[in-house]
Amino acid sequence: MKTIKMMKNLGQLEYFLVALIAITLFNTFLGEKFSSATLVCILIALTVTYKGFVVIDHFMELKGANKNLRFLMKLYFVIFPSLIIVSAFY
Amino acid sequence: MTTPPINRSLGIFPKSWSEEYAGRIPGNIPIWVGILAELTEFALFFVAYFIAKFYYPDIFSQGPQSLHTSLGVANTIILLTSSYFMAKAMSFIRIDNIIKCERYLWLAFSCGCIYLIIKTWEFNWNSLQGFGPSTNEFFTVYYYMTFNHFIHVGWASCAILWVIFRLRNNAYSSQEHSGLEALAVYWHMIDLMWILIFPLVYVLR
Repeated sequence: MKTIKMMKNLGQLEYFLVALIAITLFNTFLGEKFSSATLVCILIALTVTYKGFVVIDHFMELKGANKNLRFLMKLYFVIFPSLIIVSAFY
Repeated sequence: MTTPPINRSLGIFPKSWSEEYAGRIPGNIPIWVGILAELTEFALFFVAYFIAKFYYPDIFSQGPQSLHTSLGVANTIILLTSSYFMAKAMSFIRIDNIIKCERYLWLAFSCGCIYLIIKTWEFNWNSLQGFGPSTNEFFTVYYYMTFNHFIHVGWASCAILWVIFRLRNNAYSSQEHSGLEALAVYWHMIDLMWILIFPLVYVLR
């Protein structure tokens, strides 16, 4: 049973990898085509947060692990993307 | 499940942070002390970036256009893939599949090496274009962040070799693999830092 659950998780990992690569390419496209737009900065900041959360929860496997470590790691990916949004208004 | 001794002996975190109260600590406590220290170090770099960008908005707007974006994108994909390989290696050690675990560790190591080669190539390309750490404020921040990250990938790649050596000596199994897991979380931390560095220096204009 445990092994079957693990194999399902392996399938999830592939899905997340494809999503992370797609987001990276999308972010690059946004940066290249729409320079200095505030909306672009907000979109990039949100996707960076999402990427961070996926790696923290599914690759680093902090989902279901120590809740304080998970909180700290996720807080990091809220604070710095927020600064990206703030910097869009410089 | 019994708690590995190393997670019980270091009483440097509050009791509310212990495995008993807050949940399992992946790897071991020493690696998390290291990870939190590294996160603080990179946080200082990121704060320096935002302060510098506030004072020199034009330089930071033009800076990314001087870089080889394709190499930055390639390195991002390579590091994400390496994290995936590391997660797969963890999955296989949990089912005692040592051969596949080692195979994925070699793949993660290869990604680390490819990253280092591409980054070296990029530093050289920058140099040929006439850009260096003292070119302007953007490049100073860029070199501080990316070279620091480069060093982290370098020594973590060496750590993968050490873990492979230990794996071959039957040091890890489905029951005891905290050393391998400690390396895995450290490797993911390095990937996470690049996830933040990439948009700051290559994408945002």
